[in-house]
Amino acid sequence: MKKIKWTILTFAVLLSIGSAFATRPKPLQSNLYYWNGSGYMPAGQFGVTYYCTSSTSTCTYVLSQGVYTPYQTAASYTPIGVTTPTTKPTPKKEKQ
Amino acid sequence: MPKKQVALECICALLILLFLYASVSKFLDFKTFIGQIDNQPLPNSWTPFLVWAIPLLEIGISACLFFEYTRLIGLYASLLIMIVFTIYTGIVLLHFFPYVPCSCGGVIQKLTWGQHLFLNTFYVSLSILGIILQRRIYLNPIQITTKHSLV
Repeated sequence: MKKIKWTILTFAVLLSIGSAFATRPKPLQSNLYYWNGSGYMPAGQFGVTYYCTSSTSTCTYVLSQGVYTPYQTAASYTPIGVTTPTTKPTPKKEKQ
Repeated sequence: MPKKQVALECICALLILLFLYASVSKFLDFKTFIGQIDNQPLPNSWTPFLVWAIPLLEIGISACLFFEYTRLIGLYASLLIMIVFTIYTGIVLLHFFPYVPCSCGGVIQKLTWGQHLFLNTFYVSLSILGIILQRRIYLNPIQITTKHSLV
């Protein structure tokens, strides 16, 4: 009985740690860009200045040997609404 | 092993999977996580506390769920934290904040806020079910042992 319990829980622990390592973002050698309709612009930091929402287009591109190659696909570039964390809109309660 | 016990172990395993995965992902990309917390519609002065408190709390809950002695505390803690996350997700979806922040944590950040709400609601239900099962097993240990021996 205890063997089954320990097997299930140990499997969960190992799977969660393994998955976290497997899905961690790979460090990029170069910056990411997005297509704004007329040209490629620096994308900024994922999760901070932008995120990718599900769609059929390409969210970001990576510049490799002078060619912009799709990097984050099946998504569209969505600015979060702030350029840097320091320029975050002030919450209402702080204004009062 | 009684079916209820197996179900409880599976519920705890799923909760551990979520909390441990989310916390380890945050620590593996800590710099981005700090930026993401800064980007939430919360005062930036809370960031130094939140960036440590959230993942450590998640690890603590996982540890509580792992051991039978502290499991009920872990289940109540996971219910509480999931309710807090669900309310926060609901507030974001209702556009209560001046802008929509990112949804964060490993591959979970790829989910939309709507999908996030669904995931959170699922884990709230799972925590409630876990509490019910744990209390039943704890209050009627003899009955379950008898049933098991009959099977």
